[in-house]
Amino acid sequence: MNLKRRATDILMIALGAAMIAALVHIVAILIIPLYASRDAFARLSQLGPVNATILLAQPGPQARLLPYGDPAVASAFCRFDLGAGPLRVKAPADPSGFASLSFHTRRGSIFYAITDKAATHGVLEALVLTEDQLRAVAAKDDEDVPVQELRIVSPTNAGFVAMRSFSEQPSLYPRAESTVRALNCATEASPE
Amino acid sequence: MLIKALIACVVGLALGLWATALSLRSGRGFDATTIGAWTVSEKAGAPDADPYTRAGLERSGEIPLAAGEGLQFIARADDTGAALNSRCTYLVGRVTPPARYWTLSLVDRQGFPVENPAARYGFRSSEIVRDADGGFVIAVAASAHSGNWLPIGSEGRFALALRLYDSPVSATAGAIEKTAMPRISRESCR
Repeated sequence: MNLKRRATDILMIALGAAMIAALVHIVAILIIPLYASRDAFARLSQLGPVNATILLAQPGPQARLLPYGDPAVASAFCRFDLGAGPLRVKAPADPSGFASLSFHTRRGSIFYAITDKAATHGVLEALVLTEDQLRAVAAKDDEDVPVQELRIVSPTNAGFVAMRSFSEQPSLYPRAESTVRALNCATEASPE
Repeated sequence: MLIKALIACVVGLALGLWATALSLRSGRGFDATTIGAWTVSEKAGAPDADPYTRAGLERSGEIPLAAGEGLQFIARADDTGAALNSRCTYLVGRVTPPARYWTLSLVDRQGFPVENPAARYGFRSSEIVRDADGGFVIAVAASAHSGNWLPIGSEGRFALALRLYDSPVSATAGAIEKTAMPRISRESCR
């Protein structure tokens, strides 16, 4: 009888523990992205101020800030905050190789990306704005003139733009670096 | 009764956190697609990525490729399913899915290149030595090999990363045939 009671006790504890474990696991997985203390944005924030273009070190055994970087690809980024106004992004696309711009929210999801194939006259250009800013800008558009610029709505005020440039040979890596270093991010006056 | 509830809570908490750490280390969410030895998460970085993929990205801190930029495939095992071992020699190759450029590199468990005397961390499609038919073979080995040698560098687990840039398969990674991916065959072990 005593043995049977102990077995039931252990079974109940095990069942309870399993249920709590499942709950803890699900909550942890859902909370981690919101906590965001170690994500790419948090790591990039250590490197410099908003709007500044910052070149990332070539991925290698010593560059341990961001994992899964490609040693053949040079990258630079700028963080943005649309609270002060829309962001004008300009970057030269080296016609000889692959280059791309990707737009990331504070929470790490990508809301837009373009490659060098979208470049006009060798330049990739975009205006990043909030929903409200887009409405204000669109209200000022001349109805007879088609809009030429690429306007990208960001779901969050804060985020970052990453530029990548592929080097076809190891000796061409410095050129890829100078391509991404030319990324330019500037806050424009808020539309009234 | 209280003691029992407390034990259940403590054990449950520990188990739950352990399971979380384990699932994040494996680095694959529900979105992941497996093609032979390779795993790809098409939705990495997408707003509708699953919670595991998102939590994994937050912890690792990597900047994922957007679908329009390219795709990253990771292999932690060879074609037979055995974990990649630094004491073995592997031949990787012949073909990749179509892409403007691709690179194949070696990373440690955290996703960083591994120090080696040759300072060779990967190969680009534009620099690799090819056979007459356009195919390629990369020897992944600790000791020097002729041709395309990708050094393993140090003891321990490692993974191979294949990145396709500007690839038409970006939107349909799940539909890639196994034969279109590089094979990873184990040759010999020390």
